[in-house]
Amino acid sequence: MPDQTATEEETVAAETGGSPPRLRTRMRRLLPVLGSLQGYIGLILVIVLGLATKGEVFWNQTNLTNAVGAFASRGILAVGVTLVILTGGIDLSVGSILGIGSMVSAMMLVHHNMTPWEIVPICMLVGAFFGLCNGVGTTWLRIQSFVMTLAMLSVVRGLDRQYSNNVSVGTQVVNDQGHLTPHSAQFQDLGTPGHNVLTGVLGQGVYYPVLALVVVCVVFQLILSKTRFGRHVYAVGGNATAARLSGVNVTAVTITVFVLSGLLAGFAGPIDAAYSASADPLAGTSYELDAIAAAVIGGTSLAGGRGTIVGTFVGALILTLLDNVLGLNAVSDNWQLVIKGLIVVAAVVLQRPGFFAAALTPVRRLIGSSPREGDEK
Amino acid sequence: MTQPVTREVVLRMRGIGKSFPGVRALSGVDLTVHAGEVAALLGENGAGKSTLMNVLAGVHGDYDGVIEVGGDEAAIHSPKDAARHGIAMIHQELNLVPDLSIADNIFLGREPRTRWGTRDRSAAHARTAELLAGLGLRLSPRRLVRSCRIAEQQLIEVAKALSNNVRILVMDEPTSALADAEVQRLFEVIRDLTGRGVAVIYISHRLEELEEIADSVTVLRDGAYIGRRDMAGTTRAELIQMMVGRPLGDLFPRESGEHGGGDVRLRVEGLSLRAEAGRTALHDVDLTVRAGEIVGLAGLMGAGRTEVLETLYGAHRPSAGRIELDGRPYRPRSPRYAIRRGLALVAEDRKAQSLVLGNTVAFNASLAALGRYTRLFVDRRRERAAVAGQVRDLRVKTPGLNATVRNLSGGNQQKVVLAKCLLTEPALLLMDEPTRGIDVGAKAEIHALMSRLAANGTALLVVSSELPELIAMCDRILVLCEGRLTGEFHRDPAHGPPANQEDILAAAMARQAVLDQETADA
Repeated sequence: MPDQTATEEETVAAETGGSPPRLRTRMRRLLPVLGSLQGYIGLILVIVLGLATKGEVFWNQTNLTNAVGAFASRGILAVGVTLVILTGGIDLSVGSILGIGSMVSAMMLVHHNMTPWEIVPICMLVGAFFGLCNGVGTTWLRIQSFVMTLAMLSVVRGLDRQYSNNVSVGTQVVNDQGHLTPHSAQFQDLGTPGHNVLTGVLGQGVYYPVLALVVVCVVFQLILSKTRFGRHVYAVGGNATAARLSGVNVTAVTITVFVLSGLLAGFAGPIDAAYSASADPLAGTSYELDAIAAAVIGGTSLAGGRGTIVGTFVGALILTLLDNVLGLNAVSDNWQLVIKGLIVVAAVVLQRPGFFAAALTPVRRLIGSSPREGDEK
Repeated sequence: MTQPVTREVVLRMRGIGKSFPGVRALSGVDLTVHAGEVAALLGENGAGKSTLMNVLAGVHGDYDGVIEVGGDEAAIHSPKDAARHGIAMIHQELNLVPDLSIADNIFLGREPRTRWGTRDRSAAHARTAELLAGLGLRLSPRRLVRSCRIAEQQLIEVAKALSNNVRILVMDEPTSALADAEVQRLFEVIRDLTGRGVAVIYISHRLEELEEIADSVTVLRDGAYIGRRDMAGTTRAELIQMMVGRPLGDLFPRESGEHGGGDVRLRVEGLSLRAEAGRTALHDVDLTVRAGEIVGLAGLMGAGRTEVLETLYGAHRPSAGRIELDGRPYRPRSPRYAIRRGLALVAEDRKAQSLVLGNTVAFNASLAALGRYTRLFVDRRRERAAVAGQVRDLRVKTPGLNATVRNLSGGNQQKVVLAKCLLTEPALLLMDEPTRGIDVGAKAEIHALMSRLAANGTALLVVSSELPELIAMCDRILVLCEGRLTGEFHRDPAHGPPANQEDILAAAMARQAVLDQETADA
């Protein structure tokens, strides 16, 4: 195989050479992080659909920020769920944890008049605690994650409803003059459309849920692709036995991803409460399914070991914009559900390994990556 | 061995070609098999043996060329076609359902029926018992396949093929997971089958086995037909030359043992392990390994060799025993701790235990040593430089560091496992069947690597089912039987009894001695 040897030497030279990596090498390294090509094609299709049917109404800043803001809390859940799925598990409890997070935040605000700076960390701790329970159940008690988190979905929802007496709690607390209290006003910044944060720094500022989603995605993508923990997540999902025999503490990694997933769900709670301006005892119901759908559309394999946060972000964006476009075109909620389901099926089929190999080959050639097919078996 | 030339030809494959997208896997391959013959198929990994056999078994429906069975042209385009022509294949990874009984497995998909249309269990059991008895297996047909040993499962596959009136039986590396005594039993079965006129196509890397069992041998290289020889009158050297296309030096390049007696690196006293599902118990195992020494562990399947390595590595918790590493006490806690103390393990099953197959060469190779390149973030440049160095030193044939490990050949996958172990710079390297199922060239390279590591002062503890390999590579060989040490043999006769196959095998089968000792203990 003279060809292969030549490529190998070239690659090895490129990796070890002292000179800064060439653009092609850089792009090649970036490629796996960007997720699947199919995701971007899907995203473009949805945008084209929006522009074709609604044009200006669809493509303006207000509509787009509102669309993303509505979906941001579910996008944040999707990041946590992606971490768990990468280790080969599943987390069905995130919707309930978001629900109790939103209820806790509203209670703290209304009954204890706390600031968001106190409320948000407390909600994250509450979420992390339930995540820890999931992690302990799946590792030490050796319960399958599907069963453990399904049980947690029920337990947490029950606690939420008991705690709230099945009554929703409004977050717009008004003082004697009929104005929002300062803490309540700050709280609304977390999610109410029209309330922007970082005004001044970023001109008109940004809509907080969008900022939160982007920051969460960036931080967790960095963790996954740059840290040892991130490598271990992929190793555990790819082959848990091999990971353990390579010195990976599989139990610790598994518990950690569940804690992080719970923590993110707890973080999304106050955002969701602020967006709806109230905490409903049923808030977050079935959000876990949207989160899992976003991860799957973004190319994360439920078998574990394959997927990226960037992919999940694209997947969440597709679902968001699709919701928005269908809403603008007055498609009924019922048909929206049907279409979403079909898109998940299509995404999984289209992302079979090798399905798009033919379409990818010219791209690979363009950036000089060597094809993976054609090796000896 | 009879003269196969005088027998009737049962199978003739002519000019077989097969392409996969981007790869020409086979071109113009011929294979002729006579009734009652053991026809060996030989070639390095990736030479096309499995592809050829998959064509024969109907797995690959579209191929070029002609297949004749019993003199008539046979259109074999599906596994059903193959079964109709009396062709059965036993894959290297067995295709049995672990949670069904032996009888259910044998009659899977064609269960005998009663006149009510329900399954006729008693007929299936009676027929299964008959088949098993014919193969010398004393197992109940009701037994779950999960609880049978690998060698037994192999024979169950044979029974399944026989129940199908097989005329041509393909066996893909049937002995790769068997110990020597079990291989002998399998050979008896094969001889019995050929006596009944069944033709056996036998794929194996072990030349000494072919010399024992095969009548003819057909050699493939890079998907092409190289030649056919009668086994009698063909030398090993000639076959190896046909396989690799170049003369190969000594298979076992270790120079005669001057390990000079370094310091004791590992001292184990009274190591014991309780038996658990699928795990052999260990009783009072004592052993030492010195720096620069290669110590072999011999024994049959289930003798506890793997358990010794895995217990030392912290994968199981020993029930008793004292272990010292370089004179300091060592308590196996976890593989993670073992790596920190300078141990590394090349596990028995590289796909299931060592590799994240869907990930890249670089990911796998650096996995165990990642801490060395990490502060807050992994320093990708240092990591890749280290991996690239190992890839070069070990001569891993890969399109690049980002190639998916699944796409590499067996030998190259094993080299990636070695790279992972070596990057942790182990002081004691535990190797479990390091050369199983890999081609001759890679095998020789791994042997050379072992010698090199020993020369640099690494201590090696090596398990292998191939006695010639152990005898050639090891300074000392310890023999286990049923979880107890039953023998110690030396390369240098000055230190103790010299190693030879007969004595080692005798110690490995010293079951009576072990049982006597158990009675004495009680």
